[in-house]
Amino acid sequence: MRKDAGIIIISARNALDDRLTALNLGADDYLVKPFHLAELKARIMAIYRRRNFKGENLLNYDQITVDLDMMDVRIDGRSLSLTRKEFEMLLYFIANKNKVVSHNALVDHLWRDESVWGESFDFLYTHIKNLRKKLLEATGKDYFSSVYGIGYKFN
Amino acid sequence: MKLLSKYTLVSLSVSLIIFVIGGIIYFKTISYLSDQQLDRDLTEEFAEKVGFIDQHQRFPKPFEFDTYEAKFQGIGQSSEATRSTDTIVSTNSGEKTIPCRAIIGTVRFHGTNYRMIITASTETTQSVLKLVSTITLALIILLFMTLLIVNRIVFERIWQPFYQLLRHLKDFSLTGEPKPITVNPTKIKEFVELNEAIVHMEERAKDEYQSLKFFTENASHEMMTPVALINSKLDNLIQDETLNSAQLEQLNDIYSASRRLSHLNQSLLLLVKIDNGLIHDVSELDLSKCIKQKVAQFEDVMLEKNIKINLNLLPKTIKASKYLIDILISNLLSNAIRHNYTGGETAIFLDESMLSIENTGNEQLLDTRRIFERFEKSPSSEGTGLGLTIARNICLTYGFKLEYQFTPPFHRFFVLF
Repeated sequence: MRKDAGIIIISARNALDDRLTALNLGADDYLVKPFHLAELKARIMAIYRRRNFKGENLLNYDQITVDLDMMDVRIDGRSLSLTRKEFEMLLYFIANKNKVVSHNALVDHLWRDESVWGESFDFLYTHIKNLRKKLLEATGKDYFSSVYGIGYKFN
Repeated sequence: MKLLSKYTLVSLSVSLIIFVIGGIIYFKTISYLSDQQLDRDLTEEFAEKVGFIDQHQRFPKPFEFDTYEAKFQGIGQSSEATRSTDTIVSTNSGEKTIPCRAIIGTVRFHGTNYRMIITASTETTQSVLKLVSTITLALIILLFMTLLIVNRIVFERIWQPFYQLLRHLKDFSLTGEPKPITVNPTKIKEFVELNEAIVHMEERAKDEYQSLKFFTENASHEMMTPVALINSKLDNLIQDETLNSAQLEQLNDIYSASRRLSHLNQSLLLLVKIDNGLIHDVSELDLSKCIKQKVAQFEDVMLEKNIKINLNLLPKTIKASKYLIDILISNLLSNAIRHNYTGGETAIFLDESMLSIENTGNEQLLDTRRIFERFEKSPSSEGTGLGLTIARNICLTYGFKLEYQFTPPFHRFFVLF
């Protein structure tokens, strides 16, 4: 195994002890089954960024620049104010650009701790709507395309 | 009551009873025997006196018979059968009375019947009896003291292994490090057996605990892996741009089902863990802080349903697992939101004695006996039907009580600490 390889442990055990054990053994991240591929991809990207980050921790996509240290989003140099959930959502979408991200995956990512909700994703739509609107106003582009009843694609 | 006190009390009362019975028997026997002896003497005396009267045709004078004194009373022609009896005689001076044994009979003299009474003092017998009683009493006291002292010494020595085992059992923990039993070597068979039984029982309890733990871990692994597979295949499948809306709708249903399945699995496993005490990361928790955190997490959802929340939180700390308490608050709060209507109200109240979470909602009393049962839920509910069962069992784990009340328009769940 390469020395600089990132390690994500995927396990069905979700006890805090198990997570801590895994992280103490040198794992970079711990993902509990069941999970979504979009989640796995976002975590891999995060590890990749952390391992390769030189100087500024920036994430670029098209006109959008995300400063991960400052938790700041800039469009062509202008700062865009986002709520915490919108910020997390944007990062998730950029990590999964050009892929359909399901509502389920989004909810599990953003509300992992309290995902005791049934099938109603109403609260999710509000956040997406707001993020979509802010990006549309700042860039003049609609990055989101809705995939019938199942999720969104960011491109 | 301590074993020693109980044992001493029983042995003392038994010896007391036996001594009392023994004393009575002694007393009766001695009295009976001495009466027998006196009666024999008196009967002989009686016969001699009757013979004397027949022979001499006069009543004997007191000095003519050495010991016993006789009295005569004329009773005309009536006659009395000879009998022995206890009686009391006054001394000549009349100051003292002496307990006596007497024989009473009839003697015929000059055509008239006389009652003849011959008495004998029983003072000697009485003093013997007194002596016996005193000795018996002294023995009782001596025995009691000896029993008390011997019991204490012997008891503490003999039962020492027992108390050591008891201490060991009190310290026993399923999850902790196994501690060797430190018992002084004993030859008493019962304690040796008890010792063996405890060692055996502890080993078995630990084994069962371990196998249960492995079972839940394996079950969780075996159930979550296929669900993870379904999810990742679905995630791949929806990337296909040729899918039409009808197909996507079906895929969405599969998503929902797999999501529900994974929640159900997690909830059931959580119940098994709670019920078997597999979660024990107990720490001191600031409950009002936990509640505020949870409320912040649910903010989005409450905003979406335009639900107003009132918080009235007084400081309260408890010793419990943060993981479980988070689940407890989360379950109650999510119920309060989920079963609320748009524009409704929720209130959380916390003080030293209780936590209450109330919400507006369907104006109908829930079935208080059944809401805490597994899979008991309203037909419209999207939950797993395990949320309240989990909440109740978490409460039971820490000796809290979870109760439900409906005071229109508020449904109220409260945890009594």
